[in-house]
Amino acid sequence: MQKRNNWLLLALFAPAFAVFVAFFLLPLARLAFASAMGPSGFKIYLAAITTPRYLETLVYTILLSAGVTLVTLVISGIVGVFLTRNEFRGKSLLVSMLTFPLAFPGVVVGFMIILLVGRQGLMGDITKLLTGEKLVLAYSMAGLFLGYLYFSIPRTITTIMASAEKIDRSLEEAARSLGASPWRVVKDVLIPALVPGLISSGAICFATSMGAFGTAFTLATNIDVLPILIYTEFTLIANIAMAAALSIVLGLITWMALSVARAAAGNSVAAAG
Amino acid sequence: MQKTKSMLFHAQFLFTLLVCAFLIVPVVQSVVAGLTENFIMGVKSGLTLRWFVQVWSLYRDTIFLSILIALTCLAVTLILGVPAAYAMVKKQNRWTRLFEELLVTPLAVPGLAIALALIINYGGFTGFRTSWIFILVGHVIFTLPFMVRSVIAIMNSVSLKEFEEGAASLGAGFWQRFFQVVIPNALPGILAGSLMVFTLSIGEFNLTWMLHTPMTKTLPVGLADSYASMRLEIGSAYTIIFFLMIIPLLIAMQWVAKPRQREFVMEKSHAATGATVLRPIAAASCSPDQKEGGRKLSGTALRLVNCAKTFVDGTRALEPFNLKVEAGETVVILGPSGCGKTTLLRIIAGLESPDSDGRVYFGEDDVTDVPIEKRNVGMVFQSYALFPNMTVAENIAYGLKVRGIEAAPRHQRVSEMLDMMKIGQLQNRHIDQLSGGQKQRVALARAIAVRPKVLLLDEPLTALDAKLRDLLRVEIDSLLRSLGITAIYVTHDQSEAMALGDRIVVMNTARVAQVGSPREIYFEPQTRFVAEFIGTINRLKGRLQEDRLVFPGGSIPLPASSAVRAGENGNVELFFRPEHAALVEFGQGHLHATVVASFFMGDRTRVIIEGSSDDYLTIETKGIQSFKKGQRVEVAIDPGALLRLDS
Ligand SMILES: Nc1ncnc2c1ncn2[C@@H]1O[C@H](COP(=O)(O)OP(=O)(O)OP(=O)(O)O)[C@@H](O)[C@H]1O
Ligand SMILES: [Mg+2]
Repeated sequence: MQKRNNWLLLALFAPAFAVFVAFFLLPLARLAFASAMGPSGFKIYLAAITTPRYLETLVYTILLSAGVTLVTLVISGIVGVFLTRNEFRGKSLLVSMLTFPLAFPGVVVGFMIILLVGRQGLMGDITKLLTGEKLVLAYSMAGLFLGYLYFSIPRTITTIMASAEKIDRSLEEAARSLGASPWRVVKDVLIPALVPGLISSGAICFATSMGAFGTAFTLATNIDVLPILIYTEFTLIANIAMAAALSIVLGLITWMALSVARAAAGNSVAAAG
Repeated sequence: MQKTKSMLFHAQFLFTLLVCAFLIVPVVQSVVAGLTENFIMGVKSGLTLRWFVQVWSLYRDTIFLSILIALTCLAVTLILGVPAAYAMVKKQNRWTRLFEELLVTPLAVPGLAIALALIINYGGFTGFRTSWIFILVGHVIFTLPFMVRSVIAIMNSVSLKEFEEGAASLGAGFWQRFFQVVIPNALPGILAGSLMVFTLSIGEFNLTWMLHTPMTKTLPVGLADSYASMRLEIGSAYTIIFFLMIIPLLIAMQWVAKPRQREFVMEKSHAATGATVLRPIAAASCSPDQKEGGRKLSGTALRLVNCAKTFVDGTRALEPFNLKVEAGETVVILGPSGCGKTTLLRIIAGLESPDSDGRVYFGEDDVTDVPIEKRNVGMVFQSYALFPNMTVAENIAYGLKVRGIEAAPRHQRVSEMLDMMKIGQLQNRHIDQLSGGQKQRVALARAIAVRPKVLLLDEPLTALDAKLRDLLRVEIDSLLRSLGITAIYVTHDQSEAMALGDRIVVMNTARVAQVGSPREIYFEPQTRFVAEFIGTINRLKGRLQEDRLVFPGGSIPLPASSAVRAGENGNVELFFRPEHAALVEFGQGHLHATVVASFFMGDRTRVIIEGSSDDYLTIETKGIQSFKKGQRVEVAIDPGALLRLDS
């Protein structure tokens, strides 16, 4: 019966595997292949990371994503722990509002940022009232930064709330019973317990920021990020080899970030995605 | 929760409100903008639905296409993902693990790169490239990992293996198990995954922007177009439509994620009887056809020949094992933890197969290669493995249903079982509304409802408290006896073994230590292991002097029949049980000793004494006398009860 079951299990497993191979692995292999099919062969990777325009974009994107990740973790850490550890009226409403943007695609996030800090945005109106100067952030690095924060915060809050809920309450109570102040409890109990969750959600936040396309696309900023660069290489310049090479560089960076986080935080990274 | 909210609380609360404002203010702005005549002028310019009408006429198609793609994507990921997840949970090998690893990569590889790869590989097929199916493919690749992971997570968290084994022991085949046990129990995960997939597909932009053509625009693509047109009111109205679409999805997600507990319905009979929920089951009330035939009616003889078990990791859980069980006999497998009891039971059940030489016979039939669902065994699992997706009555009926028994006789049989186990009032309850003892009864009822050839019980009482254990032990005993069923009962509790077994098989590290009736095992243990495992045993160590054994505190005559020979260096060890010794007047006993401790146990007093050999001795007395530490006592031992044991 063992044998028969094995065949049945294989039959259950095979379709998903086939689809995955045909529409993911195979195309990805072709992509890698295509990158080296340009006139410069594999040297194109060298070009991709030495040409100043590309390099600059790459560095910008990484810095932006890393910065966003850091700020997101701090903000969501505070909010997430606060929400799991306190009960008050209207909490569930607050949680729903904080997690509502979870399902927004990048374009909508971009639009939200335009409404907030764009040319006709709220921030502009307020600053004009206060200082007479209209503050417009949306189309600069700051706008991108805010946009990435906007889509990262809700996701990270949910994962942090989930891992904070799992922390054994009695650990904290034990620390308190031993005379630890609230800050000591946070430092000695809460943060160590949250670290795996923080690492994994941080990695995911970084990876999503690296690959985010919609927000930058809508904001049409004067600073290119890597996905936009790939897009313009492909559609406007039709430099397929370079677009492919840059995609692979991008894919490798995000993949590496996730793997490092996985190694550091145990197995939970992928699951949190 | 603090009573008075501290400074810290207020600071954090304010901070949270600020974050919330950052996220929600633009949402409110867009809602206002979509409903007002002029965005710059604000609400003063008047409210209107004009923009919605415009959006509807301009972008209607994108909404329909998005819904079409999301629904199809959901169907495809369900059809591909759920079976794959199940296979991956069931079969952990190199391939499934590799696939599990690979499944993470679409999360790591940016959508843009996936889209580019798809275009480079399949862009040449113009018909495909320009149809919405092309976008669908991208969405499937992007969402499949979420579905699979969500389903894997739930399958790992519910004790799927037990439920499946439970179903298999009742006769359910592969597909029946898949559809009746696996899918219903994985439902929360499937639902969560479905919502996730649908929501992701509706909002997907990175991939879709690259994959779309002017004829195949989805909602987010349309949104991007509308934003690019720089008309904030239309963009806002369109965004509101998007919000309206995802809000129900988000609410549903929260609802699914919330842990729910079924209400514990207290029935009247329940409330009335208070704590004594369990009424003793009357063995006489079992179905008449079984009662009359006496002991040998429904059981089958059972034979294990040479059944060894080596697990793939090399663990030798069972040395070649031979056992013959008469029809209708109750055999108890007794042994310390990890000695292979469960493995043995699972081989009999057909959940494990023995190493290649081993054979299992039910009666004259060789069932070694028969899967559990065809063996017609009844199995009671340690954790009960009751199906949480079914009520008590449905659980009991399950094995009958699988066997294709029609509704009328099935119901009758179920109510017979319910009556017999005195759980009729529970029949419509769900499993998580039962107490431990009630679950135990349902598990028993489910196992015997199918009139199995052999009833297998793996430590069925360990999850219960001591009092209930005693009660149920008596009940199980009378049940087994009145049913006349062949039963194999695994336990590590010696009193349970003594009470239930016609015969006891004592096991020690993958081997049989001794087989015999409870009396034989107790009074004539063949090894020290058996003697020490069952009850308490005392050791006397001394030298032979003519026909007496002489030891530090005294001496005792050897029984004439026993052929005691001295070991090397002339030392002899003899053993006796506490009840074969008594505390006597000075001058009438065999040895002097000092009391170390005494335990008053109600009906008797257990006295621990020292002075006669290296070990303490344990003696039991019935009198009302009490003992003090250091008190001198004299002990008489029944010479006929002295045992010689191989170590
Ligand atoms: N699937 C498996 N793979 C490898 N080793 C196993 C497996 N199942 C059981 N074993 C090992 O086989 C031995 C016997 O296990 P078994 O479960 O039969 O013990 P048991 O007598 O039922 O113990 P307990 O009283 O604790 O239930 C143990 O050493 C156990 O670790
Ligand atoms: Mg066991």
